[in-house]
Amino acid sequence: MQIALQQLVNGLTVGAFYALIALGYTMVYGIIRLINFAHGDIYAVGAFLGLSVYGLLAFFRVGDPVLATLVALVVSMGCTGLLGVLLYRVAYRPLLRARLSILISAIGGSLTLEYGLFLVYSPSFLVYPHLFGRAGLTAGDIQISWLQILIFASSIVLMAALYLMVHRTKIGMAMRALAINQDAARLMGVDVSRVIALTFFLGSVLAAFAGVLTGLYYSQISFLMGFLIGLKAFTAAVLGGIGNIPGAVLGGFLLGILESLAAGYFSSRWKDVVAFAILIVILVVRPRGLLGERVVERM
Amino acid sequence: MRRVLGVLVTLMLLVPLTAPGAGAQGAPIRIGVPVPLSGGNAKMGDDIAKAATLAAEEANAKGGLLGRKVEIMSFDDACDAQQSVTAAHKLLDAGVVAVAGGYCSSAAIPASAVYHDAGVAFVADASSNPKLTDQGFENVFRVIGRDDQQGPYAAGFMMKTLKAKRIAIIHDNTLYAKGLADATNAALTGRAGVQVVFFDAVTPGEKDFSAVLTKVKSLKPDVTYYTGYYPEGGLIAKQFKDLGVSGKFMAGDANNDPTFVSEAGNASEGVFVTSTPLPQDQATAKAFIDRYKKRWNQDPGPYSALEYDAVNVVLNAIKQSGSADRAAIVKAIAATKMYRGATGAISFDKKGDRTSVLYITYIIKDGKFVPYGVS
Amino acid sequence: MLYRFAPAAAAVLVAIVLPIAGTPYLIDVGTLVLVYVILGLGLNVVVGYAGLLDLGYAAFFAIGAYTTALLMVDYHWPFWVTLPVAALLTALSGIIIGTPTLRLRSDYLAIVTLGFGEIVRIAATNLTFTGGPEGVYGIPHPRIGMFVLRSPQAMYVLAMAFALLVLVGSYNLARSRLGRAWLAIREDEAAAQAAGIYPVYFKLMAYVLGAVFAGAAGSFFAVKLTAINPSSFTFIQSVTILMVIILGGMGSLPGVILGAAVIVMLPEALRAFDQVRMFAFGIGLIALMLIRPQGLWPSRIGQIERRVVAASAASIAAGTGADTVASTE
Repeated sequence: MQIALQQLVNGLTVGAFYALIALGYTMVYGIIRLINFAHGDIYAVGAFLGLSVYGLLAFFRVGDPVLATLVALVVSMGCTGLLGVLLYRVAYRPLLRARLSILISAIGGSLTLEYGLFLVYSPSFLVYPHLFGRAGLTAGDIQISWLQILIFASSIVLMAALYLMVHRTKIGMAMRALAINQDAARLMGVDVSRVIALTFFLGSVLAAFAGVLTGLYYSQISFLMGFLIGLKAFTAAVLGGIGNIPGAVLGGFLLGILESLAAGYFSSRWKDVVAFAILIVILVVRPRGLLGERVVERM
Repeated sequence: MRRVLGVLVTLMLLVPLTAPGAGAQGAPIRIGVPVPLSGGNAKMGDDIAKAATLAAEEANAKGGLLGRKVEIMSFDDACDAQQSVTAAHKLLDAGVVAVAGGYCSSAAIPASAVYHDAGVAFVADASSNPKLTDQGFENVFRVIGRDDQQGPYAAGFMMKTLKAKRIAIIHDNTLYAKGLADATNAALTGRAGVQVVFFDAVTPGEKDFSAVLTKVKSLKPDVTYYTGYYPEGGLIAKQFKDLGVSGKFMAGDANNDPTFVSEAGNASEGVFVTSTPLPQDQATAKAFIDRYKKRWNQDPGPYSALEYDAVNVVLNAIKQSGSADRAAIVKAIAATKMYRGATGAISFDKKGDRTSVLYITYIIKDGKFVPYGVS
Repeated sequence: MLYRFAPAAAAVLVAIVLPIAGTPYLIDVGTLVLVYVILGLGLNVVVGYAGLLDLGYAAFFAIGAYTTALLMVDYHWPFWVTLPVAALLTALSGIIIGTPTLRLRSDYLAIVTLGFGEIVRIAATNLTFTGGPEGVYGIPHPRIGMFVLRSPQAMYVLAMAFALLVLVGSYNLARSRLGRAWLAIREDEAAAQAAGIYPVYFKLMAYVLGAVFAGAAGSFFAVKLTAINPSSFTFIQSVTILMVIILGGMGSLPGVILGAAVIVMLPEALRAFDQVRMFAFGIGLIALMLIRPQGLWPSRIGQIERRVVAASAASIAAGTGADTVASTE
């Protein structure tokens, strides 16, 4: 039982990262039907920018870890958000009507970001400062660190904020309108390009948040770190029903828990097979994902 | 207009492909160095290429070889089977007389077939998978030990020195790590009182291994041996401590990198690492390290000294045979006897493997790799 | 007239002169281009003709390669006899994964195929009979009678034979009843269905044929490399093949050939730049797409269609003045 609970904690932690990144995929997909291949790399950029901020703060002798972390988060999230908008403006906006070409442009964007980090920072693995120890709660054999609780809580808060923004504000309404019918939204006076840019900004901000937390929690970052987790997060978004915000969150946590259980009770080297097989089964049974709404097919 | 522009951009990007290849008589002696310069192993490749360049520069400072300059041609193989074959052909085109380098076994093995067909010597510096020399190619050598030499050593250390009864082995399903894990497992099975309680792989590139380690924890091992590479190794060592898994943590030779320590932080204290002796623990390597630091302003990587030796073995063979002929070099390398390199004396057995490879165990103390009772 | 045939003539000339005058490296690069031509033509049937986005195409490539490699190494079959078996197995796996999933929306199909590709690769890494991460080594060279196909030239000629077969096959497919049915489904599935075309059957046909093409490429790949392991069949490989057809121009045969040439040769050409190679490749991809969003050599049907879409988009954009839409030439 204790092991099962520990595996649940493990799964929720991984799932929080999947969920944060899956949101970026799902929002962009919901609005412009693009699988944004570069999104995982946006997350990596967020992690690297955070590391730079920590470096700068250490240089100016800002010792307080909580203050430093807040500054790193804010700066990294802001800059990465702007980078997401830049990527959209340069690589995607001119191709909005070319459904497959924009996919290649996204792959190009992914490579550019990855190897941009490679050139600007380092080809090797970089390490975050070990600011927060492994202190936390211990219940019998179950270990939960404060950092894990923080990750879980803060990501839930951010996701809730995003949900409220999309469903309770005017700009959120514009986003939803765009997702349903771009042309109609445009005719209703929605500034389409700005709303899409905002979507990229928000997705990138969340990814950067996940990036900095990754550095803090796992300590190691590298220029290719976004690839695998991007793939997983995209899977999570589809699992939950792509284009659907609660769906991405559900999908992220579910995938994290699934992988954790598969590794714990079956085999670690087969866990991805288990995860993908379940995904395929779910899609065959429920073709729109767990929470996906009926969307008109358009290609 | 756009069509013309598109085609023009394409053409411009393709022009370098037609650059001329090998030169004429009196041209430099070219040594090929295939290494990963892109992808996750790019840092390793860079460290290796720098050591090769250093070896060539030193030879040239002494007047070159046979009155000719030595030139290193390093190409990116991206640790990928297909790209390494292309890089091999490119090196052969450039007229290299021998090849010294490589990092991933999965790239070195397909490329070795190309070098074999061309009759070019291939001295591997870091590819330790047994298959490389087991193919029976007379042109393939390696200056690093084999995984099936390290495996039994690690097994012996766990049983004799650590008195371990319950052992967990984790690899990462790459060619190298699986080979080392299998060799260790084989050396442990059938031993009285010893039980391999866990044998499974993690996925390289992931960061959270707590699910696997939670399972390992429930099996209460005395030693957990990780045979993959340091980027995951450091993370696993950290999460191993965080989760409070019982027993010691031990890792294979791809983990003797400072990044392992910085990733794991305090959790790296007391971790064992099986390895060939690091350059700084070999008297023979001291001069090499000094020169490397002076030339590149950085510390050598874990495989730099081996690559330096691999290149020098080739250069030595050219000197001994008095010829830069490809076949003569293969012969001369096979005849290498007790060449005194930075990593110690080098001779090759019939298969092309280095004879008398020494393994030792390091323990991490105050963030440093310290030899632990040399055996 | 001359303008239209000049590129084709130049391509044929290069293809003939290369094995005679080229260095082994150039011939090897040429062979690799041909491998991607075969793969691109196969994926073109799936994506270009039938309009099904496939992100796990490398799985079929892997199944073909492993079938040939294992039969040759473990059972000492001659290369040629392994080909029909590889075709059969890839077709079968196409049916197995295609039947339950082809009813899905295309984007969901994309992720299902992605998952399938990963499952095949991980299974090949984990299973014992596939050689695990080591894969299969010492795959013999194919023979014709006493003659062993070993040299880069021989490999090139063999690849060319495969590529020509697949090219002729693709050309005829596009003009067959099948090809017209695919076009109808791709343009308007509901209308096609109303006209009596059963979409799932035709989609499955495209899927299976595409799989068989990839299987053939895999068989050749195995004997060319003489050693295969799972790391050649990653998600990146699937994406690379997809790039071939999108860069070249969807549904266009000359486009696939041009796309394959660019995808293989561009990174090779950028070798001179060493450290910035992949960075430049990324920028290059974006630039090429911005300059030619319809691909380097689009099919004519696609072009007309795109013009209509672009025109309507432009009129909408002009109406609000809020957004700019790239216009075609």
